[in-house]
This record gives sequence, structure tokens and C-alpha cells, in this order.
Amino acid sequence: MKLMHTKLPDFCKKVAAAGKKLRPETEVVLRGLESMKSAKLASLRVGRIEEEIIEITQDPNVAKVEVTVLPQIPETIHTVVIKGVQKDGKSKKTILESMFITTPAPECYYHDSEEVDDRRVSYD
Amino acid sequence: MSKLKYKLIPKGAAEGRVPINLIFIDKKDVLAAGLTYREACNVMAKNFKEPAAIDVMDMDAITVTSDGIVVDYAVVAFASIDYGMINRDFGYLGISERPYSEKLLQEEPHMKQWNAIPAYRGKQLFRGPNFEDRLPRVAHNETQTITGRIANNNTGSEFMNVVDMTEILVPAYGALEIMHDGEVLIGPAGPEISVGIGMVVFETYGRIFNRSYGAGLTAHNSGVYAKTVKSDYPAIAGRKQTLAEYTLRALEIGLVPGRDLGCSPAVLSIAKAFGSPIAFDNIEDRAWVELESVGIKRSWLEAPSKKLSREEVIANADEIVPGISEGKLFKVSDICNICYAEV
Repeated sequence: MKLMHTKLPDFCKKVAAAGKKLRPETEVVLRGLESMKSAKLASLRVGRIEEEIIEITQDPNVAKVEVTVLPQIPETIHTVVIKGVQKDGKSKKTILESMFITTPAPECYYHDSEEVDDRRVSYD
Repeated sequence: MSKLKYKLIPKGAAEGRVPINLIFIDKKDVLAAGLTYREACNVMAKNFKEPAAIDVMDMDAITVTSDGIVVDYAVVAFASIDYGMINRDFGYLGISERPYSEKLLQEEPHMKQWNAIPAYRGKQLFRGPNFEDRLPRVAHNETQTITGRIANNNTGSEFMNVVDMTEILVPAYGALEIMHDGEVLIGPAGPEISVGIGMVVFETYGRIFNRSYGAGLTAHNSGVYAKTVKSDYPAIAGRKQTLAEYTLRALEIGLVPGRDLGCSPAVLSIAKAFGSPIAFDNIEDRAWVELESVGIKRSWLEAPSKKLSREEVIANADEIVPGISEGKLFKVSDICNICYAEV
């Protein structure tokens, strides 16, 4: 079970379904995965997130659920593929470079919440 | 209830040149308030609700500039605060002391300053965080804290807001002047500092790198683009006389730019004026490309010129040391507030 992974489009559907399960009129916003075309997400965590979305919407006054996916390490290393493509579509040379990107940390997204329950993976 | 004293250079200070709230706390004031460094940063987060970068400074210790000059202060902890919080895992970094050893001086020739210059002898050295300090950061992460919008990078010398994407640099001599209530030169870093910050020395757990690059090499390795990478960002620099004084101390004990010291435009220009040897052949070609892009040519450095005395170099530092050409000199007391936080 631990090794099973969910397809990215399935995850998006599961988030929307969980958000609307208790009240179909609930608005569900999923952000942070826009640039990904394909991916596999750890199924164990997908199930937890569905459950947690239900938990958040149990408050009858919740009209909208914002689900934001961020790198847990807010400074990430990325590979930059610099590829030359010839007129005939073939490529003779690619340079691989590293890029370090620092992004807004999660406080930006929840600073106005009265209660924060941190269930993330601990590094301890 | 005790109070924690701190210095604040607020966003908008220096006629709008400072884009981010900068907080500097003297280690002695942390201890006087009965706090640890981390607790002091937590106190600041709770008291100061705006986004800010924090440096905790030990004015009895020493640290090292990126080009290998020892200066007598050290950042011993740093943090990012925002929305009254510190990020659980990445908001704070404490820095362990780097103990004195002969092995260290052999591996890192610029560290001969530690023992050879009486003002530094016996002082504690703090540079960058070690492996344990950095956890849970991994090898590729910079020496950086991040909370909300604020990143405090390169061991408390480079401050960013990653939402409005502003940034300000506080090179070592600027931090020194801030803590001593001296004068600071504030303006765009310019192409010379942009090139210079890439001319680093080899250090284990340095303020910026760990066992990477070395004297005569360029960490930028970006050719004519090196002069552009930081040139437009504001910097709070020290007076050029201060930079010259500290650099001369290193040259006077026989350290050689390009071999023992980084080949930054500032170090090379002072060495040229003072008539100190330069390890020309040890400076790699790609470093020369970057230096020449800001007018520091080997032929100019090698050309005979009048050797100035120590006093003459310091007196003429504004003309000798390149960088921050559009800067304005400010008294620290005019841009910095002394504040107290409830503990």
C-alpha cells in the first residue's frame, strides 16, 4: 500500500470531490500543481488529504476550501535543461544546469487562520 | 518582565533605499534578557508583526568576508520572521563556533590572519553553519532562513522578500558599521561588488559555501554576466576607508590576492595601490573575464605605479576601492532605531 501512487489527474478529481462531499456548493481551489503535466502522488498521503478536506468542511460555515501544494523545503533545487533544437528538429547539444529557487513559505497562505494543526512530516 | 534591545533599520529607511525591515541584535543584549538566540528570534516574531530579517551579532568574535578578509564581529544566529511567526523548520539558523586549529590554517591560508593579527588572536570564529546547524537543510540548500515572505541568505548578509521580490545586501563592513553606530554607504551594489562577491576563498563551513571554489577562482563563472547578477540591488556597505583598513591588515601579514585571498576588485585594487604582490597566474581565465568586464585588467595591475603608504591608501580609499558609485553616506543613527521588545 505504501508504495502505491495516485495519478495527478485522479488527485485533482479526488480533491474536488472531497471538498464538495458534504456540501456540493462548496468552492474548491487547488493550486501549486499548475505547471505539472504528469506526476504520481503518494497514495497514503492522498487519502489523508481527502480525509482532512472532509474535516475542514465539517464546519458548516466553510464555503470554500483552498488546497495549496508547496515544496516543504521552500528553497528547492531544479534542473534546467538548455537544449538547442536544429531546423530539422534534431538536437546536437544540451547543457544541464542547476537552479535554486526560494519561494514564499507556507505562512503566506495560512497566516490569517485562527488555528493551525501541523501534521506534516517531521525532520526530527 | 525583561526587555530585549534591538536595532531596526526599517523598510523605507535611507530615503527609501532600504526595501526590507532589518533587525540586528547584539548577543550581549540577548543574554542580558535571559534568552537563547532562538528564543530572542521568537520574541521578535511575536513583537514585530511585520516581515523582517534578524541577525544576532557577537561583537567579541571574528568572521570572514567572502573574499577572505577577517573582520571583528560575527553573525552567530539569523532568522526570518513574518506574520508574527518563524517557520518551524527553515525560519532560524544558529551557527556553531569554528574552533582554532593548525590544520584549519594550513587548509585555509587566509585564516593566518586569526593568529598573526593581534586584534583577532584568541577570539572565537563564527562563519557559516555546519552540517548539524543546517539540518533539516540538505547540501544543496543555501545558508538561508525562510519564513513567509522573507529569506535571510548567506549567513545574514543578503535579505529578500520573495513576494515583492525586493532584496538588499549587507556586506560585512556594512554590518560592522551598523553595530558600531558608524557610517554606511547605501546605494546600488554596482558591477564591481556584483563581480567581487563571486571571488570567494576556500572554507569549510564558510558563510556562503562549504569547501567550494577558492582564491583565484570565480564562484559566479558567468563571464560578462557576473557584473549584472547583483548590480541593481541596494547594498548597505561600510565606508571604503573601513574596507581598506581591514584589507591592509591582511596584506601586511603577507597574504596574496589570488593565492590566499579572493581576487575581488576591491582586494586587487587595494593591493595594487599598496604595492602588494598579486598571484596573477593563479587567477583563472574565467575570473579574468569577469574582472576585465569591470575594468580590472591584468595589464593595469601589472603596470608600474606609485606605491602608496597605508595612510595614503586609507585616505584615498574612496578613489581606490571601486563599487557603489551612486551611493550616499548615512550616519547609522539617522537610519537605525534603537527599540525594545517585551520578553
